[in-house]
Amino acid sequence: MAGIKALISLSFGGAVGLMFLMLGCALPQYNQYWPLFVLFFYILSPIPYCIARRLVDDTDATSNACKELAIFLTTGIVVSAFGLPIVFARAELIYWGACALVLTGNTVIFATILGFFLVFGSNDDFSWQQW
Amino acid sequence: MSGFLESLRCSECVDWGEKRNTIASVAAGVLFFTGWWIIIDAAVKYPEVEDFNHSYHACGVIATLAFLMINAVSNGQVRGDSYSEGCLGQTGARIWLFIGFMMAFGSLIASMWILFGGYVVKEKAVVYPGIAVFFQNAFIFFGGLVFKFGRTEDLWQ
Repeated sequence: MAGIKALISLSFGGAVGLMFLMLGCALPQYNQYWPLFVLFFYILSPIPYCIARRLVDDTDATSNACKELAIFLTTGIVVSAFGLPIVFARAELIYWGACALVLTGNTVIFATILGFFLVFGSNDDFSWQQW
Repeated sequence: MSGFLESLRCSECVDWGEKRNTIASVAAGVLFFTGWWIIIDAAVKYPEVEDFNHSYHACGVIATLAFLMINAVSNGQVRGDSYSEGCLGQTGARIWLFIGFMMAFGSLIASMWILFGGYVVKEKAVVYPGIAVFFQNAFIFFGGLVFKFGRTEDLWQ
């Protein structure tokens, strides 16, 4: 276990990120709930890498096409989570201020997810029982 | 909080040579998906057919297909020194890669044609969709190149 402190910091980061997202939706001068669609991308983002780690667990090879495909898809999901609020703002569905808040929330959430993988992901004895 | 920062001291435990494949995958992902979001943005801003003819989307679709074809075969299969032959063999892999690259170059050239022939020459008031088509295909093309050639297949370095 890498530590309770890391877990608490990561959960704080997640709460702050979601707070920014909700501020971007719920502030009275914005009051548009379209940005909640980025939650879909938040949930989708860890999935490719987790699937790749379960499918191919050869720790000998330093290059691994399945993991690289997973990283490619994950990057795409992250880019989409940033692109969607910008397209919403350009289409004038939401204000640019709300867009800025949502993008800030995105940054914090994805930093949290990355931190989760860095802190809790690298297990040398990666066993199936952990899942 | 005293032990927290010690686990963050990681700048000397990252071997950037080893991370080349990861960096190439991330860069390719950013390029490819930014291209698609540019065209989504143009399609949202200009829904009318006079501003943005919907058939111009075919260019990006062919570019994406070319990206998938190019990256479906590994360099080892084309050179003939991979462990498994694949279902096409070495010659089949070469033809597949050839067709993939032809489609990639073709879609890039077509996007330039669309920009200049469809927007610049006709002196349309709204040029942004033409620029968006060009940048979409350019980004997808370079994303494909980075994903194909930015990664190394040397398993032991």
